[in-house]
Amino acid sequence: MMHTFKINYWFLSSLFISCFVCIPLIVIGISLFQDVSGYYQLLGETYVYTYIANTLLVLTGVLVLTFIFGVGAAYLTSFYQFPGSTFFTWALILSFAVPSYIYAYSLTAFFGYFGNLYSFLNYLFGPSDYHTLIPKVDGLLGSILSMSFSLFIYVYLITRASFIYQSQNLVDAGKIMGFSNYQTFKKIIFPSARPGIVVGLSLVAMESISDFGTVSFFNIQTLTTAIYDSWIIFDDIATAYQLSFFLIVIVLIFFWLERMSRSRSKFYMPTRGYEAINKIQLQGTSAAYATTFCLLLFTCSFLFPISQILLWVIQFPDNIHLAQLIELSVNTVSIVILTTLCLIVLAFFTNYGMRISKSKFLNAVTNFSVSGYVIPGVILAVTLLSFLSFVSKLANSNWIHFLFSGSIIGLVIAYCVRFYSLAINGIKSGYEKLNTNLDDASYLLGYTKFGTFIKIHLPFLQPNLLLIAMLVAIDILKELPITLILRPFNFETFATQAYTFASQDMLEHAAGPSLFLIIFSAIFILLSKKYILKGF
Amino acid sequence: MAHYFEFNNVSYSKNNEHILTNVSFSIPRQGDTVAILGPSGIGKTTILKCISGVRKIDQGTIQLKNKILHDSHTYIDPEQRNIALSFQDNALFPHYTVEENIRFGIQKSLFCSKNKNGPLKYSMEDLLELFFVPELKNKYPHEISTGQAQRVGLVRSIIHNPDLLLLDEPFANLDQNLKDKAQKNLKEILKSTGITTILVTHDKYEAFYLSDYCGILLQGGIVQFDSPYNIHHIPNSKEVVEFFNRGVLIPVEVVSDDTLFNKDLGEIKGKLVKKYEKGEQVNLLIQPEDLEHDDSSTLKFEVIDKKFRGTNLIYTLQTPSALQLPVFVHSHHEHLHAEQEKFGIKQPIFIDHLVCF
Repeated sequence: MMHTFKINYWFLSSLFISCFVCIPLIVIGISLFQDVSGYYQLLGETYVYTYIANTLLVLTGVLVLTFIFGVGAAYLTSFYQFPGSTFFTWALILSFAVPSYIYAYSLTAFFGYFGNLYSFLNYLFGPSDYHTLIPKVDGLLGSILSMSFSLFIYVYLITRASFIYQSQNLVDAGKIMGFSNYQTFKKIIFPSARPGIVVGLSLVAMESISDFGTVSFFNIQTLTTAIYDSWIIFDDIATAYQLSFFLIVIVLIFFWLERMSRSRSKFYMPTRGYEAINKIQLQGTSAAYATTFCLLLFTCSFLFPISQILLWVIQFPDNIHLAQLIELSVNTVSIVILTTLCLIVLAFFTNYGMRISKSKFLNAVTNFSVSGYVIPGVILAVTLLSFLSFVSKLANSNWIHFLFSGSIIGLVIAYCVRFYSLAINGIKSGYEKLNTNLDDASYLLGYTKFGTFIKIHLPFLQPNLLLIAMLVAIDILKELPITLILRPFNFETFATQAYTFASQDMLEHAAGPSLFLIIFSAIFILLSKKYILKGF
Repeated sequence: MAHYFEFNNVSYSKNNEHILTNVSFSIPRQGDTVAILGPSGIGKTTILKCISGVRKIDQGTIQLKNKILHDSHTYIDPEQRNIALSFQDNALFPHYTVEENIRFGIQKSLFCSKNKNGPLKYSMEDLLELFFVPELKNKYPHEISTGQAQRVGLVRSIIHNPDLLLLDEPFANLDQNLKDKAQKNLKEILKSTGITTILVTHDKYEAFYLSDYCGILLQGGIVQFDSPYNIHHIPNSKEVVEFFNRGVLIPVEVVSDDTLFNKDLGEIKGKLVKKYEKGEQVNLLIQPEDLEHDDSSTLKFEVIDKKFRGTNLIYTLQTPSALQLPVFVHSHHEHLHAEQEKFGIKQPIFIDHLVCF
């Protein structure tokens, strides 16, 4: 080969992230061979199976509900027209703005002891003992409902994308072969959307397994809360790692499932001759059913939580402190901007590197580094911290620890690891639409590599950049465990502030930060809804 | 004196698969047009990409205007070569309009090093007009057809007035009528501007019309490099004959310096392209235009197929020893011969160039 050897600088960025992704896996792997503490043995005999069982129970419930909500809504809005169908198509994604732990707060506020439902009934029918009538929506049921209403959106978006990318030609072909509408759905539409549905459900599964805020609020002992407790309350790292191992195993199963389905779904992508689906106009009762389903979903997933929180804000205006909210906004926005910038630069560097060098090794390293999103936030934070203390012990200096732990830098690194895949894949999907011949064309028209990047890649990828920035922003706004564990002392975001109040049973105080969190997220969602609706 | 452009012993492989192995050809003079003809997937496009520098060759030398572009010591970046390439799949930038695409890189900018030969004598408007797409200036690539996009790409590459213009199947997506007109205008532009051009195509008529020299690229490299006339009439190997798929090879015996003998056709006279010993058994190439029709001839064969080509007819005749001969007849010939009818061949048979293998 006549190629002159050059150091791949972009290579390093991928390697850098990959190393951080490795840390949790390595730390947990090593810990398996270490002695376990007495606490763990006690746990092993008593609670560990309960934790796993609870985790799996929540998971199953959430998967069933998100499947019904997500696929149902996607099917209705993709193939039919009914009153409000256009509105629901985008309005449903607003539920993405409500993190499940905040949903949990509003559930409690409504159904709880002397909650809003109680007051409402009192107001309507006069004072009486309604407590026996009001169902208890907490514990397992509460967790499952909260997560389902805030996570079904993954299934909705990805299923919808695989529905709308189906060609009318396929549907027509089915009709010509004599299929009824139901048969067409069963034999053609559903099978070709199945990989998409599995991807959506896998994402839901990973989110639900790593959820911390909801289950901890409802006092359900799952693997995540157990990890958090062993670390924070019992100061028992070894146990935290042992539990993490179980969690990671469950997560990896879904990660594998998602990967498999993603690669399968490529076969179903339309190429030439694609013709958009003609929506069928629903009439009469069927239209009423469709509208009711979507309206109920929209109400439960978005209107309900936000109205609960608004109610608090109106009822207890004294709990809203402007100075505090400004500080929280500044904190949240600055950490969002910092992380987004870092992520975009890193993701660009790697993607551009892969495009130019076409190196298989770099590709493999990147694919690995992308898997950071499967590591639950709790584990990521805990392992990162103990790794830092290990390194600073090794280096016999405290500055590493000071620099990274309980600092903005450490927080940003953890976010970057967690959300790297979002950024990488966002830019990658843009680059995949940009034929490499275009790079060659630009070189031949006299542009350098850098010039090509500035004049061709950057303007072309602008929508992708916007989408990434928005999604990262929403995710960081809602992110709880990483921020909780790694944030600097006294540094609060909307999410941590709401959680702190809620965990101290001061739900009314959590209303302010929760409201702002939802408003900020909703703004970001509305800004990028055009791109979000195309699927991830 | 060195040639204007040289492509010497170039090899290129990708993922351990050899795509080009020791391929050589050259363009003697500035302003010449060379066509590379070959079947699909043989590496024609790869040659253009190697010349332009967007693919790096494994070995060999590429040289333009006495300057080495690529060899074992030197590699000049594509943006420094002043070579233009018109891509087969057009490669228009999707986020720029047609006009912006064409102007891209004409003005020298901070990031751009091009435009060494000064402006072309044709303006953008002239060129768009000559390729029948004058109304597209403000459209985006996704709003125009593949054939239109290809011509816009062609304009973009020509307007730079490059030292070497590389065209990859420039008119592949056009209907015949528009293709003929576009080819005529392209030829005129190339001749009047003196831009040296390498054209890659699988359409031999396009190659013959536009080029001064043709190279036939088959497995094993450029097997023949010659004028279009010689490529057509005097193919130098069986492989070239097979590639054009226009004639048949029939067994003959060499009788003398200018006479061959076949037991079905009898004596065949003409000029032997290569020397053979008397009595040697060889295969003679018969192309459709080699045999002449004569209704009064006593040498008659059965018609087994006929192809109507508009301006002409090609009959396929079967001889007693089951040879199938193509014969070309002007389509205004006064009567048609049905299949299974007898068809006369003019005697004595005389063929200008006797090409034997």
